[in-house]
Amino acid sequence: MTRPASPAFTPARARGRAAPGPQAPSMLGAVWRRLTSDTVIQLAVIAVLLIAWETVTRLGLVHPFLLPRLSAVLERIYNNALNGKVFMDLGLTLYRAAAGFFIGVAVAIPLGVMMARNAGVRWFFDPLVSIGFPMPKISFLPIFILWFGIFDTSKIVMIAFSCFFPVVSATYAGTLGVDKWVIWSARSFGARESQVLREVVLPMALPQILTGIQIAVPVGLITTVVTEMLMGGPGIGGSMMAAGRFADSVGVFAGIVEIAVLGAIVVKGVERMRAYLLRWHAEARH
Amino acid sequence: MNAARPQPARTDTAPGDVGIEIRDVSHQYGGRGGQGGVTALDHITLHIRANEFHALLGPSGCGKSTLLYLIGGFVPVQSGVIETRRGVVTGPSPDRGIVFQNFALFPWKTVLQNVLYGLEKLGLPKKDREDRARHFIDLVHLSGFENAYPSQLSGGMQQRAAIARTLAVDPEILLMDEPFGALDAQTRRVMQEELRAIFERTRKTVVFVTHDVQEAVFLADRISIMSARPGRIQHILDVDMDRSRGDEITKRPEFVDLGEHIWGLVRDQAIAATRGAH
Ligand SMILES: Nc1ncnc2c1ncn2[C@@H]1O[C@H](COP(=O)(O)OP(=O)(O)OP(=O)(O)O)[C@@H](O)[C@H]1O
Ligand SMILES: [Mg+2]
Repeated sequence: MTRPASPAFTPARARGRAAPGPQAPSMLGAVWRRLTSDTVIQLAVIAVLLIAWETVTRLGLVHPFLLPRLSAVLERIYNNALNGKVFMDLGLTLYRAAAGFFIGVAVAIPLGVMMARNAGVRWFFDPLVSIGFPMPKISFLPIFILWFGIFDTSKIVMIAFSCFFPVVSATYAGTLGVDKWVIWSARSFGARESQVLREVVLPMALPQILTGIQIAVPVGLITTVVTEMLMGGPGIGGSMMAAGRFADSVGVFAGIVEIAVLGAIVVKGVERMRAYLLRWHAEARH
Repeated sequence: MNAARPQPARTDTAPGDVGIEIRDVSHQYGGRGGQGGVTALDHITLHIRANEFHALLGPSGCGKSTLLYLIGGFVPVQSGVIETRRGVVTGPSPDRGIVFQNFALFPWKTVLQNVLYGLEKLGLPKKDREDRARHFIDLVHLSGFENAYPSQLSGGMQQRAAIARTLAVDPEILLMDEPFGALDAQTRRVMQEELRAIFERTRKTVVFVTHDVQEAVFLADRISIMSARPGRIQHILDVDMDRSRGDEITKRPEFVDLGEHIWGLVRDQAIAATRGAH
């Protein structure tokens, strides 16, 4: 396999890319850019709100029962951390949310793909998804309790049910949008139908599937806490309801802060995962 | 080249005169029962000889891409028959490689991974796959971009990556849909010379769609000129040119004359096409 005599040719662009000229930025510029980076600004906004909360309550502008001091709430969380209650609550809530989420997604992605690729599946499920998506899923809770009892199973089914809809419709739309030429390319190299699905259709639909997942994650967390509040027992939602029943407003706010922090961490984590999985995508570079 | 051929050696003993036989093929898009659709191809009959470089010229929208999709087996033949030496075309196969007009690279794979995909499907050993992929990336002058994603490449570079991906699996039949359309003039010329050289070495059957008369005359052994939609084969011309002579083929009077002649034929169809569009 020798190359034919042809003009030696290295595209100028290739050389330009291979050796990018790193320009040393000035120290001040770097510090400024760091100070104004998105994360820093976002954290600053939250810090200002928290300071305002503490100031308003310290000045006695609101009754401490209606809005307890931030410092009192943090102290409660600290004590709950020492005696392990926070980890028990958060752990249980997170476990239920994760279990429900993964079950919902595990059903939604294959079904969404099949709806896009198979007319029979589409005819059967399209109306069900269209009816189910805008419905308040929590209204099914009494039925799930009837079917699955009053413990974790019905909570997890409830969460899976609510995570299912955003993912199935995003997967369906994403799979429909995969252009035929990329699929044909794979088939021209001898890919079988199942390989085409796994190796081509899924990665091509991934940006949209991840968008569905990014909706399903907060929906799942919300459903978890609401379900816990309605059904009671351990977990953040149940603890908040218990605190409310004893007029313990510090306890209620401690729960709110805990779920807020948990939610923010999870949502940020999913964003990171998206950026990593879609590093090939034009959206990853602006 | 043949030593590195990844496919099993050809065992058929057919005389190998017919590369692709297209008999009375018509194609309609949309519409039901022959009503209300767009007729893209109208009773096409064309015998593409084995191991010839066949260029397909025709105005925009005349059905050139459609014809390639039918030969590739991506779109089912509605009426008529398409046959190669391996039998009637009923679906895609690795011995019919295609370079699509819009490249159709796998966007989540790097250039190297794109080229490796077909080689993995052929079941080559890992070491051979890598070597072979890098060889073809080098051939299309993309060395240094092995690890770039398609979205990081210019249109012309994506096109060359797609060419490398298809050439790497060494298909018996090579279908190319305006493969150099996104290239600048110099790169285009280099790629044309490279492709003709590959063709001289491997003697595939090539169907090459282009708008560019010069390109067709430079590359092809025979040229088919299609009419404006609905696409029919209007003329078939032989390009009898002694390519062994070392001089610049494009400067020879017979090259220039043939180009002029073909341009005249194509022009009539192009005018008909723009009329039809209004
Ligand atoms: N999927 C489709 N649905 C309906 N009509 C189509 C479809 N694809 C192509 N056509 C029509 O069929 C005709 C032939 O299209 P085709 O893409 O084969 O043309 P072409 O010769 O490759 O054009 P170009 O040189 O612009 O690429 C066009 O008039 C187009 O409008
Ligand atoms: Mg075309």
